[in-house]
Parts: sequence; structure tokens; C-alpha cells
Amino acid sequence: MADLVSYVVRKLLLAIPVIFLATFIVFLMLYLTPGDPVTAIAPPHVTPEELDALREKYGFNDPFIVQYGRFLERLVGGDLGKSVARASLNTDVSYLLGQRLPKTLELMAIGLSISYGIGIPLGVFSALRQNTWKDRGVMVFTLVAYAMPSFWLGILLMMALAVYTNILPAEGTVGGFKSILLPALTLGLGNAALTTRMMRSSMLEVQRQDYITQLRSRGLPEREVIFKHALKNAMLPVITVIGLDIGWFVAGAVVVETVFSWPGIGMLVTSSISNHDFPTVQGCILVLAIFVVIGNLIADILYAFVDPRVRLG
Amino acid sequence: MRLRKSLNDRLIGWKMAGGAKEAVANMLQRGGRNKMVVIGFSIVLLMVILALLAPILPIADPTPSELHPEDQTLPPHWWERFGYNVSKGDGHWFGTDELGRDVFSRVIWGARVSLMVATLAVFFSLIIGVLLGLTAGYFGGKVDYVIAGTIDLFWTFPAFLLALAFAAALGGSLTNVILAISISYWAGFARLMRGQALSVRERLFVEASRALGAKNIRIMFAHVLPNCLAPLIVWASIGVADAITIESSLSFLGVGTQPPTPSWGYMLYRGIPYLEEAPWVATFPGIVLLLTILGFNLLGDGLRDVLDPRMKGMRR
Repeated sequence: MADLVSYVVRKLLLAIPVIFLATFIVFLMLYLTPGDPVTAIAPPHVTPEELDALREKYGFNDPFIVQYGRFLERLVGGDLGKSVARASLNTDVSYLLGQRLPKTLELMAIGLSISYGIGIPLGVFSALRQNTWKDRGVMVFTLVAYAMPSFWLGILLMMALAVYTNILPAEGTVGGFKSILLPALTLGLGNAALTTRMMRSSMLEVQRQDYITQLRSRGLPEREVIFKHALKNAMLPVITVIGLDIGWFVAGAVVVETVFSWPGIGMLVTSSISNHDFPTVQGCILVLAIFVVIGNLIADILYAFVDPRVRLG
Repeated sequence: MRLRKSLNDRLIGWKMAGGAKEAVANMLQRGGRNKMVVIGFSIVLLMVILALLAPILPIADPTPSELHPEDQTLPPHWWERFGYNVSKGDGHWFGTDELGRDVFSRVIWGARVSLMVATLAVFFSLIIGVLLGLTAGYFGGKVDYVIAGTIDLFWTFPAFLLALAFAAALGGSLTNVILAISISYWAGFARLMRGQALSVRERLFVEASRALGAKNIRIMFAHVLPNCLAPLIVWASIGVADAITIESSLSFLGVGTQPPTPSWGYMLYRGIPYLEEAPWVATFPGIVLLLTILGFNLLGDGLRDVLDPRMKGMRR
């Protein structure tokens, strides 16, 4: 147990530089943005001297590293700045994020359930029928679902389930629980392709192992061999990558939320980009990056928990 | 066939140690017998030819200076069988979009944009990745420690999020999108290159050439790099597919290629309000986009299976 604790601590310490990189990229974003930030906030008909005074006041004349330091200081205090978009002028970015965060988490949770709900059974099915036309069919599905960009899949599902058949609402949140199904399905299907492939290869590998052959030779019913013994072990590598899936979901959420006007952080990013509301964009990217870091941590810890060899490495 | 043969001949002409030329030639030769490689390569080749020939193909202007309101959202002329009134259409294979422009021609010109952005982005990522990975893996020690740390940092960060941040900050344009994808995507190449370099530098022929007095630079580029070519080719093919996905997603979100330059992602975005009355506006760019990504994925996956059958079915 002690080695697990020290492993987790080590991984936690390693996550710090990644978060630093995220803050740096987010800060650099504002720095790279073309145009003078002061002219954006200055009142009209302002003299060059007044502009200079404003620059001095907000610290835009300071060296890059000083500005970055000040940015970090504010972040540590939980201050992500204020929105400069017309609709949410001067609202704290942290408030806007807090409003949207539950929606994104909800979408990711249901998307993950769909992804595993489809991927694991399909992978097992495919492995048990290796090299038959059913297996090939599943593999073709995974190839196509993996290659499909999420916005295009979203549009297709929207056409099939909303526009032509009216089974589900096309966008927004007015339909209650039904409204989340389309975006979550879009998000989940692409990842289900990866889960299916992993589950299939893991199942095939486990089935080749000696203890499975031994169970079969002892006359255990095939059903019991597969579901009681093989499946448990085959699922381990699939479950441990659940954390890595979060990275995929974060990127997917930005696009999917935009397609379906789902009011989460992803849609906030795109609307803020088009409104040139960079403090909000910064906040969103930072939060999404932290998601990814947490996801990777979960993956590492789960993996070490399952496979003790990793902790010592 | 002839193409593969000439490539083989050329590879044999290279002066490489450690069986590198055989490895690459072998991969390409066996690739010709792999179904995934053949299908993937055919799709890729078709798209590349169409993209290259776009200016001389007898197709409509993708960005006409004069728009004709009467041409808006005309159905493809062969959609008569689906009950569409095609009396106004005059030979639009994929119909016209909401501004009356020919969708077929915009899809072909879109291929040009997508393929150019993706290939250049992968090319630049490859250069950054190979240089950093090779340096880290070959020299090891402190150099490796610093570079490998940086590689891991960028590897952890989802490429799409990074590209979105840079594209949003720099503003949408072709150059900026290429830049944004290159900055976000190089870590994969660097990881691969570092791993390969770490193992190749221990091989006997590297030691032999060092004993003969070859300089580090020469060993790195004449001996270590060529021996990592095969996996790099695989990764580059999958990389182009990823880059096309990122590019089209960025344009879909409005931070990528800017209109009126035809871009598949933006065409799909514009097609959403017309899904019911004019589904062709979004459908055709979508099908071609999917097919292209599928082509590069198949090519990459197939070549990887040929290269290392143990990795079959694994992709993370």
C-alpha cells in the first residue's frame, strides 16, 4: 500500500508542470492576440497620452514575465478575470464557468456510459466470433465511427433522429432528459469505437491464456468460462483507460456542444471566441485542460492499482 | 505496381546501414498485399489527384464573384428519383449551396485546402518531432531529461484543445491553422522518434561507424534516422487523418480557414440550417470528408499491421 501512496504522490507532483504549461499557453494566447488590448477597453476619442497612461495602469508595459507572474498570482486567488462580451459584460469568468460546468459534466457522464455500454459488449461479441462476418462487421463499424469527425456524426444523428423522425429534440435543453441524448450519443459513439477495439483485443488475448484453457479442460461450461473468468480480466485494461477517455471527451465536447447548442463549457468557448471575449476563452481552456490532467491522473492511479508492477517502475 | 517498384529501386539506392532500406522496402512491398493498405491508398490517391487537378478540371468556380439568388439550394440533378424538383438545376452533381455556389466544385477545392493544411502541418510536426526526439534519444542524459519532459507535457495536452487555443489567439487563416496544428501535434512524432533512437543507437552498426570516426550529426541522420523511417511513415499517415479532423473541426467552429475559401468543416456548419430542405449542402462535404479521413486511417493502420503484426487492433 505504501508504494501505491508514494506512486500517487509522485504522479500528483508530475501533474503540476502540465497545469503550469496550461496557464502559460492560456496567458500566451492573450499575448499573441493581434491588436492592442488597451484600445479595446479605452473609451472612444482617447489621446495617445491617455492610452499610454492606461497601458501603464493595467501593466501592459511591464516585461512578459512580470505580466505572467501577475496572471498566476490572480489565478491562485481564484480570479479568472471578467468577461468582456456584450451579453455578460463584467461578469466574473469563474461565475460563468460555474454555471456551465454541471452541463458539461452531465454530458460527459452520459457520453461515457453510452461509450462503455456499447463498446464493452460489442468488443466481447466481436472477440467471441473472431474472423466471422459478424466480427468483420463490427470492425468496419469501429473504423467508420473512429474516422467520423464528431460534428459530422452529430449532424447525421440530428437528421436521422430529430429532423426526419422527430424522436428526439434537435438542440438546446428544453426537452429535459431527452435533449441530452443526441449530444451524448454523438460524443459516446466515437469513443465506443475505441472501447470496442480495445475490448476485443484484450478479450482475444485473455482467451489465449493457460488458465482459460485449463478451465475449459476441466469441463466448465463455456458461458461460465467467458463471463465469470475471462471477461473480468479482459475488462481491466479497458476500464483503466477511462481516464484517458476524458481527454477525448473534452475535445469532443467543444464541438458537440456547439452542434447541439448544449449550454456547457464547450459552447461557451466557441461563443466567446466569436465574441472576442478572451478572458472567458482563457478560463474555459484552463478548466478543460485541468479536466484532462485529472483524467490522466485517474488513468495512472487506476492502472497502478490494478497492476502492482507499475508502482515500482 | 510500377510506383511501388520505382520506390523500391530508389530505396535500394540509398546508403543506409542496419537494414533500414530493406525494412522500408519490405513494408511497402508487403503493404501491396494488405487489403487495408490497398483500399486506403486508392482513396488517398484519388483525393490527391482531384485536389491537384482542381484548377484544370471542368468544374464551376467555387467562389464566384457574382452570386445568383435564383441558383440557391438547387438539388443535385440526379435527385429526381427522390422526388425533388430538378427543373431549375443544370448539371450540379452535388447541388448548390445557400448562396447558389456549386457544391461539387467546392468539395473538390475543399480537398485542396484540407489536404494542403494537413500535409504541411504533419510535415512541420514531423520536422520538430524528429529533431527533438532524435536529439533526446541519441544523446540521452540531461538533454534527454529536459526534452523528454517537454515532449510528455505536450503529449498530455489534447492536440485539438491546443490547436483551438492557438487558432483562436492568432485568428483564423490558412497559415495560422497550419501553425496551430503543427504546434499541437509534434509530440507524437517526437515520442516515436525518441523511442526508436534509444534502441537504434545501441545497435552494432552505430558503434561501428562511431569507431570509424563518424561525427554525431552524421550518425544521427545517416544511420539512426533512416532506421526509424518505417514507423514514421505509419505515424505520418495517421497524422494526416488527425490533422484533417482538427482542421475541419476548427473551420466548423469558425476559427479555421475563413470564407469564402472552401473548407469542408465550414461547409458542414453552413449546411446545418438547411438539413431539412436542402440536405445535400452538408451531406456531400461530409461524405467526402469521412472518406478521406478513412483512407488515411486505413493506409496507416494497414501499414502498421504489416510493420508490426503484434500491434494489430491496438491504437491508443
